[in-house]
Amino acid sequence: MTVARLRGPLVSVAGLAAGAGIWEFVGRHTQAVSFAPFSATVSALWSMLVSGELPRALESSLKLFGAGLGLAIVLGFLLGLVMARIDAIRIGLEPYVAMLYATPMVALIPFILAVFGFQFRSKLIVVVLFGIWPIVINTLEGARSVNPELLEVAKSYRSSELQLWGHVVIPYTLPYTMTGIRQAIARSLIGMIASEFLLQADGLGNLILIYTQRFDTAHVLAAVLAITLLATALMGVGRAAENRVARWKVGV
Amino acid sequence: MSATAQSVPLPRPFALGPRAGRFALRIGTGAALLALWEGFVTLFAPSYVARPSGVARVLPDVLSSSLFWSDARVTVVAVFEGLAIGVVLGVVVGLTMGRLRDVDSALRFYVSAFFAMPLIALVPVMTLWFGYTGTVRLAIVSFGAFLPVCLNVYDGTRKLPAHYVEVAQSYHARWWNVWFGIALPASLPYLLAGFRLAAGRALVAAVIAEYIVALPGLGYFIIFDSRTFHMNEAMVAVLALALLGVAINSLADLLTRRFLPWYRRA
Amino acid sequence: MTGAGGRIEIDGLAKQFGELRVFENVDLTIGEREIVSIVGPSGCGKTTMLRCIDGLVKPDGGEVRINGQRVTEPPRGVAVVFQHFGLFPWKTVYENVAYGLRLAGVPKKQIEESVPRHIELVGLAGFEKAYPYQLSGGMQQRTGLARALATEPDVLLMDEPFASIDAQTREILQFELLRIWESRPTSMVFVTHSIEEAVLMGDRVVVLRGRPSTVHEVIETGLPRPRTRDVLSSPRFNEVREHVWSTLMQEAERAERELQETR
Repeated sequence: MTVARLRGPLVSVAGLAAGAGIWEFVGRHTQAVSFAPFSATVSALWSMLVSGELPRALESSLKLFGAGLGLAIVLGFLLGLVMARIDAIRIGLEPYVAMLYATPMVALIPFILAVFGFQFRSKLIVVVLFGIWPIVINTLEGARSVNPELLEVAKSYRSSELQLWGHVVIPYTLPYTMTGIRQAIARSLIGMIASEFLLQADGLGNLILIYTQRFDTAHVLAAVLAITLLATALMGVGRAAENRVARWKVGV
Repeated sequence: MSATAQSVPLPRPFALGPRAGRFALRIGTGAALLALWEGFVTLFAPSYVARPSGVARVLPDVLSSSLFWSDARVTVVAVFEGLAIGVVLGVVVGLTMGRLRDVDSALRFYVSAFFAMPLIALVPVMTLWFGYTGTVRLAIVSFGAFLPVCLNVYDGTRKLPAHYVEVAQSYHARWWNVWFGIALPASLPYLLAGFRLAAGRALVAAVIAEYIVALPGLGYFIIFDSRTFHMNEAMVAVLALALLGVAINSLADLLTRRFLPWYRRA
Repeated sequence: MTGAGGRIEIDGLAKQFGELRVFENVDLTIGEREIVSIVGPSGCGKTTMLRCIDGLVKPDGGEVRINGQRVTEPPRGVAVVFQHFGLFPWKTVYENVAYGLRLAGVPKKQIEESVPRHIELVGLAGFEKAYPYQLSGGMQQRTGLARALATEPDVLLMDEPFASIDAQTREILQFELLRIWESRPTSMVFVTHSIEEAVLMGDRVVVLRGRPSTVHEVIETGLPRPRTRDVLSSPRFNEVREHVWSTLMQEAERAERELQETR
C-alpha cells in the first residue's frame, strides 16, 4: 500500500532528476555560447544571488509587477461590476473589451512609449493593460450569473441595495474574479518582461538582455530559471487564493 | 417570471429596453471612445502619435502597399503553423498525461512551470540557438500554443467521468478505444478552451519575436513605422492584429457550434 | 425470434473496499432465461455485485462463471444497462446504439440493419439523429437499453436502470422491458432498490442483508408470465411484496439500533 502511495512522488522526483541530468548532458556537449550545463546555471544563479544582482533585479521587477497587477485588479473589478450593474455601459463596451482581450497588448508598446516616454509609468501601463482584461471579463460573468433566487431571498429579507451587493453579489462574484486574477498573473508577468525588454531596461528582463549580449549563457539561463521559479510561486499563490475564495463552490 | 427578467437578474435602475438601441449604443460607445482617443492625443501627445483621424487618412495607402500585406501574411502563416504544431503536440501529450499516471507525475511540474512563466523571456536565448531567423518565432509560437492546449486536454482527460470508461469497458473497449473514442471527444470542450488561450499566446509570442529578432511581420511593421514616426501606419497593423485575434476567437466559436452541438456550457 | 440464455453461477463471492467488507459468501445460480432481482438496503453492495458479474470489478473472494467460463473481464454476450444511462453526450442516438457493435467489429452492413431495428424496438424511431441532451430521461434509458440489446446478449445486467426516471415513465418502461424480454428472453439480473420493481420483474427475488451483506433469502415470486398490469393487483404480488418489505424493515430497525448503541 505505502509503495503504491509513494510511487507518484518518486516518479516526480525521478522526472526532475532526469530533466536536470539531460540539461547537464546537453550543456556539456554543446558550445558554451548556445547552452550551459545545469551545474553551471545553478552556480551562476548562486553568484548572482550573493552578489546582490539578482535580489536587486527581483525587487525592481516585483515592484513593477505588484503595482501593475494591483492596479489591474482594482480597476478590472470595478469596471466589471459597473458593466454588470449598468446595462448601457455593458452593451456599449462589451465588444470593445472582447476585442482588447483578443489583441496582443505588446503591439501597443511603441505607442505607450511615444506618449509616456521611457519611464516607470509606461511600464506600469503595459503591465496593467496585459492583466486587466481577464479580470473585467470574469468579474462581469460572475456578477451576471448570480442565482436570481438568492437575490429574491435577500430582497424578501428587506436587504438594501448596498447590502444586496455586499452580501450576495460580491461574494458570489469573487471566485470568478479570482479565476480572472490567476490568468492576469501570467499575463502581467509577460507584460513585465516585455516592458523590461522594450521600454526601460531594468529588473529580471534586463539581466537576460545583458548576459545575452555578453554570450554568457549560464547567466541567461540562471535568470530564466529565476523567472520560472518566481512565476511558479506566484501561480501557486494565485491558485491557493482562488481555492480559498471558491471554497463554497465545491458543492455547487 | 418572464424570460427577459431571468436573463437580466441584477437590479438595474438604468436598464435599457431589450434589443432597442443595442446596435446604436455600441456604435455610439465606439464613436465616443474614438473621440476620447482623438482628444487625448491632440491635447497631451506629440503630433506624430497615432489618432483616429490620422489612421483613417493613411488607411488606403497602407492597405494598398504590398509590404503591409506581405508582412501580414508572414505573421498569419507563422501563427497558424505554430498553432497547428502546438495543438497536435498538446493533444498527444495532454492525453498521455491524463491517462498514464507515471507520465503525469514525471511531466506535470515541467508543463505547469512553463505554463506559468513568461515564455518571451526565452526569446533572447533562442536567438543564440536558432540565430536571428524565423525559427525563433515558430518555436516560441508553437511552444506558447502547446502549453495551454496540453494543460486543458490533460484537465479534461483527468475529469473524464468514470462511468464513461466503465461503459466502454463493458463493451470490451481496448485502451486506444478509451483514449481516442472516449477521452478525446470528452475533452474537446477543454481543447477548445485551450485553443482560445493558445491563440492569444501565439499572437503575443509572434509579435514579441518579431520585435526582438527583427523579423519581417506585423510586429516588425509596427516597431519600424513607429520608430520612424509613422505611428498612424503602425496603428493599422495593430488593428490588423486585433482583427486576427477576434477572427481566431470567432473561428473557435464556429467550431464549437459546428462540431460540439452536444456541448452546452453548464 | 428465439431467445438466448446464459447460465450464471456465483460461488462464494466476496468484495471489500479497504477495511470495509461489502458482501461475502454470496452463492447464487441464475438459470437460462431466468430473471433474478436483487434488492437490499442502499450500501449493501448490490451494484458492486453486478459489476463483479460483468468483470468490471475484481472480487476479493469466490468467482463468477457464465456458461461455465470464469469471468475475469467483461465477457462476450453480456450487456449492462446503467443507472445513469452511460450515454456518450457527443454521440447521437444512432451512434450510441451502434457503439457495442462497432467495438465488436461487426460488419457495417449488419450494423446498418441492426441499429434501426433496435431503435424501433425501444420506441425511439425518428430520434436517430438526436443527441442525448435533447432527450428526456426515459428516452435516454431507452437508448441505453437499445445499445445493450443491439449486441444480442445472452445475459442482461440491469443496474437500477429506472432509478433516475420519474414514476410514471418508470412504470411504462418496466412493462416495455417485460414485453421486449418476452419477444427474446435472455437471462437477466435486475438490481433495484424498489421492492415493487423487484417482485414485478423477477422469477426470484434475492434479498441481501447484514454487514457485510449476505444472501438472506431467495423468494420464488411464482407470478405468471407474460406479466401485465393485472399482476400488480394480484394477491400473490402483494403477499411477496409485504414479505420482502418486512424483511428489509427488520434490517433497517436493527441497523438503527446498532447505530445508536455505537454512539
